[in-house]
Amino acid sequence: MNRQKMYLKIVFSSLLRRRSRMLVALLAVAIGATVFLGMGAIYYDIPRQMGREFRTYGANLILVPSGTDSRMRLEDAVRAEALVPPDKLVGATPFRYETMHYNMRGLTVAGADLASARKTSPYWRVQGEWPEEENQVLLGRDISENARIYAGASIELEIAPAGGRRFKREFKVSGIVSSGGAQDGFVLMPLRTLEALLGSPGRAAVVEMSVAGDSAELALLAEKIRAEVPGVTPRLVKRIMTSEAAVLGKLRVLVYLVTAIVLGLIMICVGTTMMTVVAERRKEIGLKKAIGAGNWNIIGEFLGEGLILAGIGGLLGVGSGYFFARTVSMSVFGRGVALPVFLVLLTLLASLAVTVLASLPPVAGAADVEPSVVLRGE
Amino acid sequence: MFFRMIFGAVTRQKRKLLMMACAMALGISLATAMLNVMLDVGDKINRTLRTYGANIMVEPRGVAILSDLYGVREGDGVADKFLLEAELPKIKTIFWAFNIVDFTPYLDVPASADGSENTVTLLGTWFSRHLDLPTGESVNTGVINLKSWWEIKGNWLDDGDESGVMAGSVFAAQRGLKAGDSVRVAVTGHDGRKREAALTIRSIYHAADKEDEGLLAPLALVQRLSGLEGKVRRVEVSALTTPENDLARRAAQNPRSLSRHEWEVWYCTAYVSSIAYQIEEALTDSRAKPVLQVAASEEAILQKTQLLMLLLTLLSLVCSALAISNLVTANVMERGTEIGLLKALGATDGRISLAILTEMLIATILGGTIGYFAGIGLAQVIGQSVFGAAVSAKGLVIPLIAVLVFSVTLVGSLPALRILLRLRPTEVLHGG
Amino acid sequence: MKNILELHDVSMIYGPVKALQNVDLNIREGEWVAVMGSSGSGKTTMMNIAGCMDKATQGTVILDGEKVSRLSAKDLTAIRRDKIGLIFQQFHLISYLTAVENVMIAQYYHSMADENEALSALERVGLGQRAGHLPRQLSGGEQQRLCIARALVNHPKLILADEPTGNLDQANQDTVMDIFRQLHEQGSTIIVVTHAPEVASHARRIVHLDFGRIVRDVLNTDGSAAKDSVTGAISL
Repeated sequence: MNRQKMYLKIVFSSLLRRRSRMLVALLAVAIGATVFLGMGAIYYDIPRQMGREFRTYGANLILVPSGTDSRMRLEDAVRAEALVPPDKLVGATPFRYETMHYNMRGLTVAGADLASARKTSPYWRVQGEWPEEENQVLLGRDISENARIYAGASIELEIAPAGGRRFKREFKVSGIVSSGGAQDGFVLMPLRTLEALLGSPGRAAVVEMSVAGDSAELALLAEKIRAEVPGVTPRLVKRIMTSEAAVLGKLRVLVYLVTAIVLGLIMICVGTTMMTVVAERRKEIGLKKAIGAGNWNIIGEFLGEGLILAGIGGLLGVGSGYFFARTVSMSVFGRGVALPVFLVLLTLLASLAVTVLASLPPVAGAADVEPSVVLRGE
Repeated sequence: MFFRMIFGAVTRQKRKLLMMACAMALGISLATAMLNVMLDVGDKINRTLRTYGANIMVEPRGVAILSDLYGVREGDGVADKFLLEAELPKIKTIFWAFNIVDFTPYLDVPASADGSENTVTLLGTWFSRHLDLPTGESVNTGVINLKSWWEIKGNWLDDGDESGVMAGSVFAAQRGLKAGDSVRVAVTGHDGRKREAALTIRSIYHAADKEDEGLLAPLALVQRLSGLEGKVRRVEVSALTTPENDLARRAAQNPRSLSRHEWEVWYCTAYVSSIAYQIEEALTDSRAKPVLQVAASEEAILQKTQLLMLLLTLLSLVCSALAISNLVTANVMERGTEIGLLKALGATDGRISLAILTEMLIATILGGTIGYFAGIGLAQVIGQSVFGAAVSAKGLVIPLIAVLVFSVTLVGSLPALRILLRLRPTEVLHGG
Repeated sequence: MKNILELHDVSMIYGPVKALQNVDLNIREGEWVAVMGSSGSGKTTMMNIAGCMDKATQGTVILDGEKVSRLSAKDLTAIRRDKIGLIFQQFHLISYLTAVENVMIAQYYHSMADENEALSALERVGLGQRAGHLPRQLSGGEQQRLCIARALVNHPKLILADEPTGNLDQANQDTVMDIFRQLHEQGSTIIVVTHAPEVASHARRIVHLDFGRIVRDVLNTDGSAAKDSVTGAISL
């Protein structure tokens, strides 16, 4: 039998035949790796996940017509949208504002792509239904309360198209919208309906865009739109970005600190466990030395065991750590979590490091273990 | 004898038990820190979110129908209505007064600058007004705190500065004005009289919003110019709120639809809708509306953060519990020879287990106690470095920690004890 | 016949305790020597020094013609590996290796693990049938025989046994002594450290230790099979 085979036999026998102790060690490594990978993945993924969450706030990039125009062409807006990476674009909603009259009083009517408005303004609360047919509108809550028109009723609006004759049209109020902002005083209708009534289709006063990304990315994007689409001027909604940066920054530091502390403590625990498991083997080291093992033999055997433990424990940890991160991500954000390859490698390396480091004191001490310990009747 | 054995073990096996105690101290300090931070993170994030600005808007009842978004304010039969400036300190006396972080009134009037045809909005507000409350407290509140994201070239104004004004960046650029220039502002007052004032531009602000097109001045000045002494158009309030639930949403639609008990719960919880409701109660003829854009996203972020921290805390607690019980197991296993010897001497399994458990518990309780205080310190480190504020130590944490220490020790010791007790004494003693 | 082990003026001092004091002892190739003495007489210390597991604080130790008393720990390991076979009272087997593997590990540290040779060493101590058993599955006597097989497998110049029968019953003790007798007949040099006169009586020469000094060194001619050419002891 050659040396390598005997070496492997020693290492594997030690692992397989001392099952309960090795399970303890394996468990320790696996727990460490789980926390390492899990927390690492969450830390790595937080900005992306939370960034999406911030989109509840609504538009953070607004397109307005360039120069003195009061309206922009929708083709321009579409070209600008195309510059946003599709996975970053939460939504883009064109708005067109007109004035109509109800009971001789002027009302602002906003025409919008309502399906995408639900994405860009997720904070709107609608009592009733969103309009699905051409003649359905949403009524701002203030108008609804003042005029006592509620969801399900209808409202007659007087329309004066540019250069045309005034006419009246009855709309069905499908729901009441409230936002605590300007929308409370608007009548909201599908953009197509407004275009059919007033002509000049394909125009918008403003396009609200909701884009996932930090302020640097957004500034870059705005630059690109400004340069490539002359018909529109991008404007960043500053207070949202500042707040996002502040909250995200704090969250990041928080998770970072927590990760660092948890990791540190877990690693200490794992290390101590490993050391306890190894320390038990002083006598074995003494015996091996007494029957002629050199220090390198002993170091080699311990490292071999450590390598296998770290490999298996690390892989187990990667699996359960991913599960850990995914569970957190799914239940908090309702999305899966990215698993970067470098993190997997890092986890395996860390398991290895902690195993080796933990075996270091007793193994280094192997040089100091007097073989005579075996003769003293312990 | 039992106690002598325990005493002997504790004092003579110092190193091993010390290691156990240290591991437990580490684990418990982690648990204490995480639990304290988790229980406090809502409040802390909430305060950070205040950088979003106001989440409640207070206006006079009945005026809100024509929004000022496109300047469609005048005419069309909307009677001008106002809130009374003298009543504003009442906002700080409502049930949830402590949760009102800042508020500031606004009075906007159309003005002409340097005789120009185009009107410009002159906005009066509090910058940092000192208020002495009937409760005996005093607060400073105003636009400086509320609009933390504005960029100011120069300094904010002083509330007493009757000849100063701040210019919006767009307005200043259009007119080619800079700090130090003077501007003549003419206002046609509510009573029909025209008043003029020569004001000095103290600084330029950039809000990235429509305020950039106007001028910002102390409230008293604008009231005097417009003849609206003691009156304000609207008030922005920034409040710490609790994420809304079903009850809050039903209450927001109609507080009167709640049962008496539900109403009390709702009123006594810091929902944005109940705070708004209480403000309405405090100010005559007012209408307080949650700004859902702010309130809803705060709610989302707050909920996510709390859930995130909760899960992180739970999972890391589970992991450290496992890691420590694992360590306990390793520690107990090491003592196979001792257990074999005790059995050989005729000790019953129960006695051996009791002795070892007692020893372990002494070590872990000691470690746990040290860990608890270390953890409170750790929580402060986290609080200070992340939020720049102390994390309050919650009493709830102590029983949780106690349960943790006991269960971790038991869970760690029992399986190892079972394995060791199953062994025959000779095997342990002679097993090589 | 040449000396396999020579101790010249060897002392071992642990703090205030003088475990060995100015001991002189020569052991020739092929001798079977028993070192006797009560607890604390310095037996184990002498065994440690003879076995190259400890270095004497003073004096010269020559093993197989090599002066080992000033060698480094690393070199001592090599000497131990090549020249000495150790047998312990507590057996000290590696719990996770089978009988044959416990023998092979000694070969492995020495040179090459050879399963057949290891098996034949087991045969010699009568454990051929139990090669695949773990130490805990063996009886005390079997564990001690396994320990002997491990000590033999590298053909050491010197076999050192520390209370080899201390943990054994009479029957097993007899078996072990039989093995020693065979080894002796085949020419091995054996030092047995014991406090039991019965065990010592099998040896051909008996050295008595007391308080760290050799007090008596006699030939044991009334031993059971004293037919070898064992020569007289070297005086103090």
